[in-house]
This record gives sequence, C-alpha cells and structure tokens, in this order.
Amino acid sequence: MTDSPALTDGTFPRRAVLAGGAAAGALALTGAAQSPTEAAANRYFKHGVASGDPLPHAVVLWTRLTPTAAATPGSGQGPGAHGTWQVATDQAFRHVVSQGSWQTGPRRDHTIKVDATGLAPARWYYYRFRYRGVSSRVGRTRTAPATDASPANVRFGVVSCANLQAGWFSAYRHLAKRDDLHAILHLGDYLYEYGPGEYGYGQGNVDVRRHVPAHEMISLADYRRRHAQYKRDADLQSLHARYPFIVTWDDHESANDAWSGGAENHQPAEGVWSARRARAHRAYDEWMPVRMNGTAAPGDGTRLFRRLRFGKLAELSMLDLRTYRSKQAAYPLVDGSVSDPDRSIAGDVQLAWLKTSLSQHRALWKVVGNPVMITPITLGGLPADLIDPVNDVTGLLPADGAPYNVDQWDGYTHDRRQIFRHLRDHGVENTVFVTGDIHSAWAAELPADKALYPLTQTVGVEFVTTSVTSNNLKDILGAPRRTASLAVEGILTAANRHVKYLNFDDHGFSILDLTARRAQMDYYVVGDRTSRTAGATWTASWATATGTQKVHPVSRPVSAG
Amino acid sequence: MSETEAVRRRLDRRTVLKVAGAGGAALMFSSMPGAAPAAAAKRRAYVLVIDGCRPDEIGGGRMPTVKALRDRGLWYPRARSLPVFETLPNHVMMMTGVKPDRSGVPANEIYDRSLRAVRKMDRPSDVRVATLIEQVNRSGRTTGTVLSKEYLYGVFSARATHRWEPFPVVPISGHAPDAFTMDAATAMVKQFDPHFMFVNLGSVDRMGHMDLTGTTLRAARTSALGRVDNEIKKFVDLLKATGRWQHSLIVVLADHSMDWSTPDKVVSLAPLYDADPMLAGRYVIADNGGADLVYWTGSASEKTAAIATMRRLAMSHDGVLAAHDRAATSWLRLGARGGDVVVFCKAGWRFSDPGLLDNPIPGNHGHPATRPIPFFLSGGHPRVDHGVRTAWASTIDVAPTVGAFFGIAAPRTGWEGRSRL
Repeated sequence: MTDSPALTDGTFPRRAVLAGGAAAGALALTGAAQSPTEAAANRYFKHGVASGDPLPHAVVLWTRLTPTAAATPGSGQGPGAHGTWQVATDQAFRHVVSQGSWQTGPRRDHTIKVDATGLAPARWYYYRFRYRGVSSRVGRTRTAPATDASPANVRFGVVSCANLQAGWFSAYRHLAKRDDLHAILHLGDYLYEYGPGEYGYGQGNVDVRRHVPAHEMISLADYRRRHAQYKRDADLQSLHARYPFIVTWDDHESANDAWSGGAENHQPAEGVWSARRARAHRAYDEWMPVRMNGTAAPGDGTRLFRRLRFGKLAELSMLDLRTYRSKQAAYPLVDGSVSDPDRSIAGDVQLAWLKTSLSQHRALWKVVGNPVMITPITLGGLPADLIDPVNDVTGLLPADGAPYNVDQWDGYTHDRRQIFRHLRDHGVENTVFVTGDIHSAWAAELPADKALYPLTQTVGVEFVTTSVTSNNLKDILGAPRRTASLAVEGILTAANRHVKYLNFDDHGFSILDLTARRAQMDYYVVGDRTSRTAGATWTASWATATGTQKVHPVSRPVSAG
Repeated sequence: MSETEAVRRRLDRRTVLKVAGAGGAALMFSSMPGAAPAAAAKRRAYVLVIDGCRPDEIGGGRMPTVKALRDRGLWYPRARSLPVFETLPNHVMMMTGVKPDRSGVPANEIYDRSLRAVRKMDRPSDVRVATLIEQVNRSGRTTGTVLSKEYLYGVFSARATHRWEPFPVVPISGHAPDAFTMDAATAMVKQFDPHFMFVNLGSVDRMGHMDLTGTTLRAARTSALGRVDNEIKKFVDLLKATGRWQHSLIVVLADHSMDWSTPDKVVSLAPLYDADPMLAGRYVIADNGGADLVYWTGSASEKTAAIATMRRLAMSHDGVLAAHDRAATSWLRLGARGGDVVVFCKAGWRFSDPGLLDNPIPGNHGHPATRPIPFFLSGGHPRVDHGVRTAWASTIDVAPTVGAFFGIAAPRTGWEGRSRL
C-alpha cells in the first residue's frame, strides 16, 4: 500500500520538482541524491515533524513512525515501537532542555504525539525524534509568551482550505520562507474528503494531484491514509517543521457541510454518521499536532475548542463549529429556521465558553479562530446567472435570494445575536474574528444592528483569509481574475457597507500581526496553483486600530523579517 | 443645615479671590488660609477627566488634540471603569486609590439607611479614607480642584489648597460647561500654579445624557467632543507656552463611558417588586441609570429570601443583564452602602425607578457596557514614558500614579491601584 504514486516513489519530497504541465494531473518527479542520514530519517519519519498549540511552558510535538515497510498509514500493520524525543535551544542539540520517550504502534497508526514541557516562554526551540539511532528531521517551534508578558507583537500566518487535488501548496512554501512568524493558524479544511475527479482544479475539476485513497474517505483507514498523503506534501512538511500550528477543523476534515447529525456529503449507504465522524476525529487526533480535550494523548476526547494566551496582548479562542451545530436550514426565508433560538452553530457549552473568553478580558486582543464567516451578509441585485457560481464558492447566495449562507453564522442568527449582544452588554472591545472557509478574502466590521450601519455600534471586526488552493469564484466562472468577480464584489460591498474589502479571485495566505496599537491582516496571493513554484505577492492590508472596532486600509504589509 | 451647606459656609470664611477669566467673566477661587502660590519645585501633575468619554470617540476624528496626546503618550487601551460605573464612585476611586467598600462611595445615588432616603453621595464625609489631595498637601505641595459638577465639588469641597466652584451652572445638568471649566483651570494655573490639579470636564457626559440621537447620530454628543478637545488644546498650549510642559505629568481618563437607549428600552423594577407580597413596601431602589441598587428594608430574618426574590424578579424583566447579591459577589466591592442587590441593565437599556418616567434621559451609564474608558499619561516630564501598555488599568490607579510621580507613599489605609508611570 502506498501513500501516493506521485509522492512515494522513493524520492524525498523536498527534492521533488514538477517536470511538466500538471493541470492534467500526470506528474513526474525526480529527486536529488540523499545522504545516508537523510535516507534513514526518510525511512522512519517520512511524514515529517510538526508542533502545535504553544503554551508558555509547553508545546505539542508530532511525527509518524514507519518502522517497517508494511507499516503504511491506515494499514494496521507493523510492530509496536518506542523511541525518544528531544527539545534543545540549538539546532545541533548541544543544549537539550527537555526530552522523553514515546511509544507507538498500529492502534494509533504509528503516530507519535508528546507534550514537551518545562520550556521557557517566548523562545525558539528545536526538536527531533529518535528511533533505533536514527533522528528525524529537526523541527523548529516556539513557545507562547508568559501570561503576564507584554510582547511587542504576535504574528501568525493564516491559512485555510487546502485541497490537494486542486493544486500545489505554494502558500505553505512561502510562509515557511518567512522568519517573522510565531505560529500558523489553520482555520480548517486542512484536507478534503473527496475522491479523484470529484473536486479538483477549476471548472473541470481536474486533479492536479490525485487523492489517496482514490475514493471519498469514509473508513478509519481512509482518513488515516488521506492525512498521511497530505503530510507527505513537501511544502506542508516544511511549514510544519518551521512553525507551530494552531488548528481547528471545518467540514472537509470529515465531510462537506457537516453538522452534528450528518453532512451534505454523507449518505446513508456510507454508514452511521456519528461513527464516520468519530473515525474522522480519531484520525485528526492522531495526525495533527493539537491538544484535543486538553491533552496530546489521542483517544481521550474530541473537544477541539480551546484557548491559547499570548501574554496580555492576545487570547486566541479556537472554535469548533461542526461538531455541535444544528442542521443547516434548507429554505431559510421560507421556514425562518435560521433565527430559531433552538438551533445553534456552536452548541450551548461552546457558546457559553466563547462568551467567557470574550468578556474575561484577559488580554487586549480577543482573537477568535473562526472556521466560518460571522459577518452578516445581505444580498440584492445580483444577476441570476452569477448566483450559482458564487454559491459554488461561498454558498452565500441561496437561489431564492435569501440574504445569508445557511452554513455559516448567517444560518444561525440566534447564536450570532447572542455573541454580538454579549460584546455590547459587557463593553468588550478589540474582538477580531479570523476566518477561513469561503475561498475569498474579506475585511469587515461587525455591526450591532446591520440595518442601521454605519449609525450603529460595531462590536468587532472580521478578517477572512482565502484558500490555499480550493476553487474560488473566477475558477468556477472560468473567467480571468479581476473581471467577472469585480461585479459581484461591487454588488456585495454595496449591499453590505460594513464589508470593506473583498477579493473573490485569488488564492494564497494571510499574515495577522497583533500589536498594542492595532491588528493588521496582510493578504498575499499565490500564482498558478498548477505550478510547483508559483510566486507570492502582497495584494492588500487592512487593520483595526485598538479600541475602534473599525477597519481601515493599510498601504503596506508588515516586514517579513 | 446640611453638611454641604456647612462646607460652603466654611469656604466662605476662607480666602476668596476673584480672577478675570479668559472670556472676561469673573472666576471665583477659594483657598485655604495662608495658602501661597506653589513653591519653586517645578514638577506638576494634572488629572483631566473627560467625564463619560468612550475610548472609541478619541479615535473618531473629533478629538485630534486628545488623540495626539494619547498617541504620543503612554496609553492603556485595556483601561476600565469600576462598579458602579458612575461619576462619583470613580472620581473618589481616582483620588483614594481604593475600591468603594473602602472608599465609602459605591454609586452616585444610594439609599441612606440613617436618613431613610435616597441621596447623592456628595458629602465630604462620604469619603472614608484619605485622598490624594490631602496627601499632596501634607507633602508640602499645593493642590487645586476644578470640578465642573456641583456634586463633585461637594464631595471634594475643601480638600484642595485652591478650589473653583463650578459657575455658571447649567440648570438641570448641574454642571459648568467645559469652556468655563477650562477657563478656570487655566486661570488657576496662572494664578496659583498648584503642584497638583484635579479637573473634571463634564460637558461630554452631560451632552451624552441629553442626546436624543444617542443611539444613532449622537449629534449633541459629537459636538461636545470637538469642544472639549479644543479646551484641552488651550490647556496644553498654556503649559507649553509657559514652560510647564516639560515638568508636567498629565493623566487623561474618563470615569465611565456612555450608552444610549430609546424610550421603549426602559427597565422599571418597582412595579414588579410592589406586586410581590414579600417585597411590597419593604425595599428601596436607588436608581443609577444603568444600575439599580436595591435595599431590603424588612426584617433581617427574611433578608436572604428577599434577596433571592429581588434577583429572580429582576432577571425576569427584559433588558436586565444581571442581578447580583452584592454581599456574595466579591468582585463588586461596593460595601454595604451599595445595597443588597445590584442590578445591571443590558446595553441599549436604562433603569427608571420607581416609575417609568423617572429617568427620561437617553444617555446612561452604570452598567457593564459603559465600563471601557480612555486612560493615558501625557506631558513632557521625562518620567512620562511613551508607547502602549497592555496591562490592565483603572480609575483606582490615578492616586498611585500621581503619588509615584511626586514620590509620595501610599497612605496608611493603602492603595489598591498601581502606578501606571
């Protein structure tokens, strides 16, 4: 069993280069010679290393061991194994500050996840895993500032929606080149459930790369193999090795438009939804550098919503908006269920938890890692022939013209009203929702009463990052960038004056920089997704000044250092 | 004779100086007997309270001078007012550095059990601990108060070396407009040059209270913002023109912010309580705009049950955010004067007790929505740092900050706040 014909042909992914035009999906790879040390590391630790969920004194470290050739991901094959891990202040590991041992085996798909403790706040560290005298690739990570510290800034790379079949992860590569970040926020759709030919590149759904397994992931083995395939991507491996990740899932980690009792892309023939979701969550827990239920131990719970502090400057609340949500409304204006107080996107426990996060005022910036958009969007006047393409990308435009996307907070207005009212009632300032999901870039203010904007208080702001590769509006339309999308953007921003920036055309990543004076989002776009070497360019920056709950354009991005 | 009247008579026997203000009007200052202009030491500290100012208003384009002072000074964007988010308790906290259960002033209006009446906390004896003003006096320095509101003048009254009694006072609002207040402040600097001066500028708050367009346009309020900015510019210009700037610390803050409600967003608890057989006739409400302080006046044996009923009934009313058992809610720190139950309204609501028409004003504060305040240090003295601090700051930090600036230690009763220098 192999991960992917393209990525498991014996070459080392970092050396892989694209031989020709890749849009048709037929790729050829070639590799440079490896040193014996690299070859050994690639044999045992071929899925790279990763870190995540940085705390002031601890960080999660992750890798996956391949102890034998048969111990392929999802196979359930291979022996139990044990080894060691180390954290040092230097790349040569002369100054080891934390170390320990690990055990793994087929029950956890040979993944290894440890919580490295005893670390100092706001420091860079290097880490590695060792097995039978062989060291993994060296990863770099960084702890969070002490809870009472006042860091000059906190800077995150922000990404979402990375569909491997739709192209190469150049966004990850460009983030990995930077040396000014403290962590990566991944806001969901880290991987996609579809099989080849189901969701790929552009109008024709061409597979730039083909998913493994070659069908929709449903079984535990499927989910594990798909995770393994993504973890073999060289750009993703580089980014994981360079920065800690702070992740949440959206729907595609399990299935499209997931809710607590099902998913759009889950059929009865595929079994019981709760069982499928449990398998998806288990694979996620095994394969991602994240604390679920507050620990690095897999299998002890699937609570993903959690807080991370960055001194007095910022507190990050990562949401899970799939596990507890009510079913999406099918006909929002007809049944009116989008405003039903018995329906929830977050669930009562998480909603109460989020309110506490926001009003406890533990830090200046209340940053919310928000998988789906919370800004209210009302629509009008959009030509009918544009509705379907826009829906394909964002789901923003129900065909009946209803003014909301029922898969995002617009479909659960009671929860949103509770959050917005909570912010007002408690005088909460400096709340920033950072969002993914809709393959487009936005900057918006959050009006307490949309109908009265701008003559109403704004309770926070939202920055939405675009997709790493997943199709956007121009891809669906088959139109050149900055042509057809411009009309849609114009109509949307005219009907929603609190939306200040919108880009439906580009793929890429964002940089969120937090200082005591402002929170700034820089929007970067990458070139052709079919190119393994696509460049990245800055396209826009928006910021919110401290205490304003407004956004304004900024003329240049923060320095990449 | 009321205590306030007694204070005024005592003041009348003290040195009174009539000074021509910039606008030509006569300004009346009273001073302690024998008080002389400040000694040669040049260090000066000024506390300017922009009463009721919201933090977001400073960056809104109407207050360029204040914004520039903030941006070039040392800014605390996490600053908060403290409960009850009203003028008197927070000004007293500024000058005492302690919370209301120690300062003695928990709200603007309380039910005075000894008088069996609701009254304003405007008596000098309401403050139970030493104030910064007295401490600065005892250090051999001189002090001045320029307070635009009559009740602030009442509670701080004769403490300062030099005092300005608000005049002319606008009927109903009970405050002197900012132009007159700042005229007095600049005249006090020129005439007496106190080492420490405490200034309250009340028009932003008063225009906010009365602004019928508060939920939308905030027309009157916005106008007041521009005017107070201009007055503060005059003050800064004076300091710079007279060479005082480089010796000065200026603390700029608000006592609370402001929230607006429409006439249909009113909470009146009295009808609910009157309809309850346990509570009827055995409670009193002190209405503080965004907060109702409810006092049980029945028997001690029924107090626990009464508090539970008060809270339950309050929470049944639309627009009520929270109803706290004051004694059991440690973070409130209001003391017994703060009542038995403290009820806060939601944003966009107000209390009107005992009757629905008793509080007709659209702008209110006292509830948590009005907690954020601007707070920054400015001035040209080398001890004034520059930048933005993410530490918490609050009104109780003013006394320790000014104390640290002058090298004055905390009083025996201590400070709970921290120096923000």
